[in-house]
Amino acid sequence: MTSLIIVSVLAVAVLYLGLFKYKTALLPVSVTGLLAAAAMAAMDWDLEKMYFSEMMLFDNYAVAFSILLILTTLLIFGLSRNYFEKISNNVAEYYALMLFALAGGVVMVSFHNLAMLFIGIEILSISLYVLAGIRRKDPASNEASLKYFLMGAFATGFLLFGTALIYGATGSFNLAAIASSGAFESALFRAGVLLMMVGLSFKVSVAPFHTWTPDVYEGSPGLIAMFMATVVKTAGFAAFLRLFLMAFAEASAFWAITVAILCILTLFAGNITAVFQDRFKRLLAWSSVSHAGYLLLAILAVGFSASSAVLVYTIAYSLASVAAFGIMILVSRARGNDHLDSFNGLARTNPFLAFTLTLAVCSLAGIPLTAGFFGKFYVFKVALAQGYTWLVVLAVINAMIGIYYYFKVIIAMYMKENANAVAIQLNPGFRLVLSIVVFLIFLFGIFPGLIANIL
Amino acid sequence: MLLQSSASSYLPILIQGIMALAFVGITMVITHLVGPKRRTIDKLTPFESGISSVGNARSPFSIKYFLVAILFVLFDVEVIFMYPWAVNFRELGGKGMIEMFVFMGMLLLGFFYVIRKGALDWEK
Amino acid sequence: MEDTLQTIQSIPLEHYIWFSTALFIVGVIGVLTRRNAIIILMSVELMLNAVNLLLAAFSVHHGDPSGQVFVFFIMAVAAAEVAVGLAIIVMIYRNTGSVDIDIMNKLKW
Repeated sequence: MTSLIIVSVLAVAVLYLGLFKYKTALLPVSVTGLLAAAAMAAMDWDLEKMYFSEMMLFDNYAVAFSILLILTTLLIFGLSRNYFEKISNNVAEYYALMLFALAGGVVMVSFHNLAMLFIGIEILSISLYVLAGIRRKDPASNEASLKYFLMGAFATGFLLFGTALIYGATGSFNLAAIASSGAFESALFRAGVLLMMVGLSFKVSVAPFHTWTPDVYEGSPGLIAMFMATVVKTAGFAAFLRLFLMAFAEASAFWAITVAILCILTLFAGNITAVFQDRFKRLLAWSSVSHAGYLLLAILAVGFSASSAVLVYTIAYSLASVAAFGIMILVSRARGNDHLDSFNGLARTNPFLAFTLTLAVCSLAGIPLTAGFFGKFYVFKVALAQGYTWLVVLAVINAMIGIYYYFKVIIAMYMKENANAVAIQLNPGFRLVLSIVVFLIFLFGIFPGLIANIL
Repeated sequence: MLLQSSASSYLPILIQGIMALAFVGITMVITHLVGPKRRTIDKLTPFESGISSVGNARSPFSIKYFLVAILFVLFDVEVIFMYPWAVNFRELGGKGMIEMFVFMGMLLLGFFYVIRKGALDWEK
Repeated sequence: MEDTLQTIQSIPLEHYIWFSTALFIVGVIGVLTRRNAIIILMSVELMLNAVNLLLAAFSVHHGDPSGQVFVFFIMAVAAAEVAVGLAIIVMIYRNTGSVDIDIMNKLKW
């Protein structure tokens, strides 16, 4: 709870720092505040405290995901030095909006009432609608912003209608009261669950509600796309799982088949379309759709092993995405675009960047010795334990398709030559963040027990 | 008192609707018939302080108005949270008072931000 | 006044559910078929208002005020959402001179 207050107050403080022209203080203050917030979140470990008449519950699930969200934001802030200054004069607003979005994310992982789920999603989304369009003169950014806004608002409608129907069936917004209401057979309840599923699927880009994802990722500035792919996706899935785990677990026989179908659709839509991409940012966007499919596998398996699997997966995915998007930003800034050909010869000019990107895409593809392997491993394990063998077989086939398109970029970096490529300059922030990410991907890839047994 | 609604219970609404429409129609017709008509050129020109009007009245108005209007809506809607608080003022007591002050403080911070950013400066 | 109240209460819950559903579907169809961004925004508002009506009806049915409090939150958040949405649309109008979403086709897979 303290961490949530710190993040919210920090956002306002950053806004006012910008107002009074203390631009140099923005980054240090944000980083210090986020470190404090992460520390305060860790203090809530094992306390299981309810706040605001059972509106929020800070259990270990909430604490673990809050810390993950805060630390991912910290990594993104590490890359943001001199980034927003190039886009516009209103730098403080971007930090503030990202912090507001983070506050929304923390609410989303710690809600214990459907009202807080709605408010968390909206705080996160409204900040992001603005962030997606921060390049005001750029048509692509405008388009991303409008598409994200219209799709997001549309999805909110579904989410709310589902919430209303569930309230009608159970008479409460409280997750525990819904779980113990015994109204799982009623048509109202079932329609409500399906509508909430549709709303949340839009937000976490699950097929067939994923169509906005590549456009929005491509049109948004790179760092914002990184934020969407990591923090927003993690928060969205944590909220999705928390809702289905705490409120709808008893009715799983009813919604499991729908989730399974969504999972297959998402996996194939994401992976097959990603194969045909020749721009790296769009490839990452489609791969983020496919990762939503793998995460849905864990939601099928309700139980506490599912939370653990989702935590491992989102940690691995966030780390790899930070590295991949970060290097994409560097390359597209230095070479004009993010076409896969722009990566040609990167291994010769910038061996460190090429190595980091290789590690990141290996982690995204799920190659052993990287964190991503254990992410996929645990997700498949919980799905198998629930008896979804056929689904896991399909997911493994998709993982192989994934390896094919992820390796296209590795081949470009190591096998192809680019005669007039010059070395890309790295600022210290990038070097530090990428080093941390490389270390953590290896650490969690070799000792998965460090994160697998937290929850 | 009837507990089940039937078609006949909507009759008053229907009558009210007819009355409303009829009132509009009748007053328009009667004023048209009864009122004196003296048509002169001056009376037929649009009244605009003696200057003949230029252009279409339905022209889009300044974008500044949009900003003011949208900010008004934002702050205006927050008032709905004060109604439940005001109704339960006694039960909520001092704690509720403090929470409301925190809420209003946040709104004020936003308002101050808007002013400092110059969003309400009409001439700029 | 008492009579009106009783008449209102005599309307069965099903009517509210069907009416809200119809309103919601009108909103959904509006979002899916209209091409003007502002009308799409209005359709979304229609969807949210269908939810508000449904929540208020359920709230009375259950004798539980939390549904009505939820309506307050939806109204406040919807206002914020509309503010941001209109700002985005104005930004696009300034750049392109149109609010038709069909011109938003620069990004394709």
